[in-house]
Amino acid sequence: MLTVVSRALNSGFIAVAITLLATPASGTQVDPLGSPQWEFMHRTMLDGAPYEFDGRVVVMTPASAEDAMNVPVSFRVEGLGPIERVVVFADLNPIHKVLVFHPHDARVALGFRVKIEQATPIRAAALTADGVWHVGGAWVDAAGGGCTSPGYTRAAGTWYETLGQVRHHRWPGADGGDAVERLRLQVMHPMDTGLAEGIPAFYLERLEVTDVTGKPYASLELFEPVSENPYFTLDINAGGRPLRLSGRDLNGNRVEAELD
Amino acid sequence: MNCTNQGGRLGHRLAVSILAGSILGAISGSALAAKPVTDADIMNDAATTSDVLTYGLGTEGRRHSPLAHINADNVGDLVPAWAFSFGGEKQRGQESQPLIHDGKMFVTGSYSRLWAIDVRSGEELWQYEHRLPDGILPCCDVVNRGAALYDNLVLFGTLDAQLVALDQDTGKVVWKEKIDDFKGGYSFTSAPLIVKGLVITGVSGGEFGIVGRVEARDAKTGKVVWIRPTVEGHMGYLNGKENGITGGAPNKTWPGDLWKTGGAATWAGGTYDPDTNLIFYGTGNPAPWNAHLRPGDNLYSTSTVAINPDTGKIVWHYQFTPNDGWDYDGVNETVAFDLEQGGSTVKAAGHADRNGFFYVMNRENGKLMNAFPFVDQIDWAKGVDLKTGRPIETGMRPGNPAEATDGKKGSQVFVAPSFLGGKNWMPMAYSPDTKLFYVPANEWGMDIWNEPIAYKRGAAYLGAGFTIKPLNKDYIGVLRAYDPATGKRVWEYKNKAPLWGGVLTTSGNLVFTGTPEGYLKAFDAKTGEELWKFQTGSGVVGCPVTWDMDGEQYVAVTSGWGGAVPLWGGDVAKSVKYLNQGGSVWVFKLPGKRMAAN
Repeated sequence: MLTVVSRALNSGFIAVAITLLATPASGTQVDPLGSPQWEFMHRTMLDGAPYEFDGRVVVMTPASAEDAMNVPVSFRVEGLGPIERVVVFADLNPIHKVLVFHPHDARVALGFRVKIEQATPIRAAALTADGVWHVGGAWVDAAGGGCTSPGYTRAAGTWYETLGQVRHHRWPGADGGDAVERLRLQVMHPMDTGLAEGIPAFYLERLEVTDVTGKPYASLELFEPVSENPYFTLDINAGGRPLRLSGRDLNGNRVEAELD
Repeated sequence: MNCTNQGGRLGHRLAVSILAGSILGAISGSALAAKPVTDADIMNDAATTSDVLTYGLGTEGRRHSPLAHINADNVGDLVPAWAFSFGGEKQRGQESQPLIHDGKMFVTGSYSRLWAIDVRSGEELWQYEHRLPDGILPCCDVVNRGAALYDNLVLFGTLDAQLVALDQDTGKVVWKEKIDDFKGGYSFTSAPLIVKGLVITGVSGGEFGIVGRVEARDAKTGKVVWIRPTVEGHMGYLNGKENGITGGAPNKTWPGDLWKTGGAATWAGGTYDPDTNLIFYGTGNPAPWNAHLRPGDNLYSTSTVAINPDTGKIVWHYQFTPNDGWDYDGVNETVAFDLEQGGSTVKAAGHADRNGFFYVMNRENGKLMNAFPFVDQIDWAKGVDLKTGRPIETGMRPGNPAEATDGKKGSQVFVAPSFLGGKNWMPMAYSPDTKLFYVPANEWGMDIWNEPIAYKRGAAYLGAGFTIKPLNKDYIGVLRAYDPATGKRVWEYKNKAPLWGGVLTTSGNLVFTGTPEGYLKAFDAKTGEELWKFQTGSGVVGCPVTWDMDGEQYVAVTSGWGGAVPLWGGDVAKSVKYLNQGGSVWVFKLPGKRMAAN
């Protein structure tokens, strides 16, 4: 059964998602998004492991991308118990894998932006302890070209000046109490896909939010389709403690920032 | 054919495949990790023929291989085994020397790129393209001269002055450190040197008033161990603590504040001699070019400095061109060799300088033993006084612009060699078989004059104007064989375009070098007779290497015209304008399956 869910996780945009309500796990299910790529995605993104399309994994996107280089996406997983990791991918992008989210001490929810080359399903697959992937997704319509055009900061020639700079804001009380805080980050990086002519791949490959002792709250493995100068919105159980962001890109350039 | 025999063969083959299977099973857990390169492997590189682990085929930089499967008798049959294109739009000078290890070739290219190639098939395994900012300031083309290997790492420097260590198997960055700020004129183009677990590097940027230095880092982590500036007055460091000012104090051989932007860039790499436990690192011109602004010897510019790798201190130095006024960098390689003299063996070192003289030094103490011209015309000095070790100058220096009537342009002189040198960066070779040095030289001069100049960060800091002119109608380049004991020229090969590539010699009585016209050539090491040539499609300005594998000997060289000549060569640049650019590596072998072992 198909339902339409409308929410606003990130302030600033209204998201629409089409998901299938929870159904029991089985070997083969009909892809609710009707993607020609689903079987291939299952093999390559989920290693062919058991899965179910699951309405408890909610992916929110605009129905149509205004800017194919900056499509806001968020996902939220609730009622599934502990989640080992969430893999996000876009079936019809030239590079499918977008990111992998590891929620160590954070809600299983993330907001971010992606580049898309054409209209595509964007999916989040959450792995539970029993080894089953729970898959949610949404179609985004797009005029296209987001992965094969050079980024704005490259055209402006400013990317080297701002490389690795971090901006952030923290809002306490993301869940009504003081323990969960909403953290919004921006890391300046061209996030080149390697598909724009004459520009090799160059992107952030790892980001981690920890406290000052190194205890992790959430970590991210990032890939080419993540947007230039990417934003991330997380809900973490930091309770006002000082936080630190660390990471690096494909060339070994480091990202280090205090998130006070 | 007899059945029993065939059965026996089959049984043998079966046993081998079972063995191979069990080996694969045992190592598949570690994802077939590369065989780590150890310090002992690096120290043995000159003697081991199955690999090329270092720039120079051994840290001493003799560029000699004991291999003789390919020799003067059969080199004429040499054919390509494979070629590999660097691709892209980035085809500029390819001055790199390939490295060979554990079935892989590691080769760098223009614009700070590095490839790992399956050395048997020529197929790419991975490539690393360093993201360069738009404002890099390389003086003399966007080249790279090669990588270094240590443990499971392949290390190389970039045009934006970073040092990158990649996993040999995956090409993933293991560590990356910034050497300096490219906006101040720093860059890095030479091949790093590995000594006792340290990665030794210098800096480029002598045309921008940088301060030269030699640095040692832990090769596995990139952590700085010591820093030794090459300009008098600057503090050195060891393990984060002050380790003595280079030269003891400022202003002994520099006036005023000029030592603060004194140049002496360490841009062409260094060699290491385990016999004396010394690193020999060359230093570039003092800055600015206008020597009238900086009376004094300007130490340690235009020198070889011998540094103890354990202490980071200068043990000795020898300066080739005191108070250099012609851009006669002293960066060229200093190569350890044993010199027989009066029945005893002297630990000697050879150096063919930009200024046109070949120097033979005692490598234990830097004392000059002999100096002789290796080009036909040297105008700036009559010779070198063997007692004092100083040049006997002729007075042919460009005039002081402060004394000119308009105060703008000093009097002009024509002087040979040109600032691109009797020999430039391209490394020579030494054969312990023939006991000869093979020097890639150029015969050219220049009109040079001085102009007033002030230092501005990131801007060219020359105070000179110049134009290069050939000395002969029919050739500029000339490969020459010299006996370092006597200074005698044994043979020469003349080349129309300037030579800009490195030399390799082998125990097959061979000398290899490339030409801008596109040829890799082989010569008889004793007579200089040209025995073989192959047209690679673009100019050869890289450094050939050789190794053996599966019972056959291979030779490899990069192809791709570029470097300083087309950018700075004046009249010469015009004459080589027709040469087309490229970017590839070529590998050669003898035809047929296997050569009988010698």
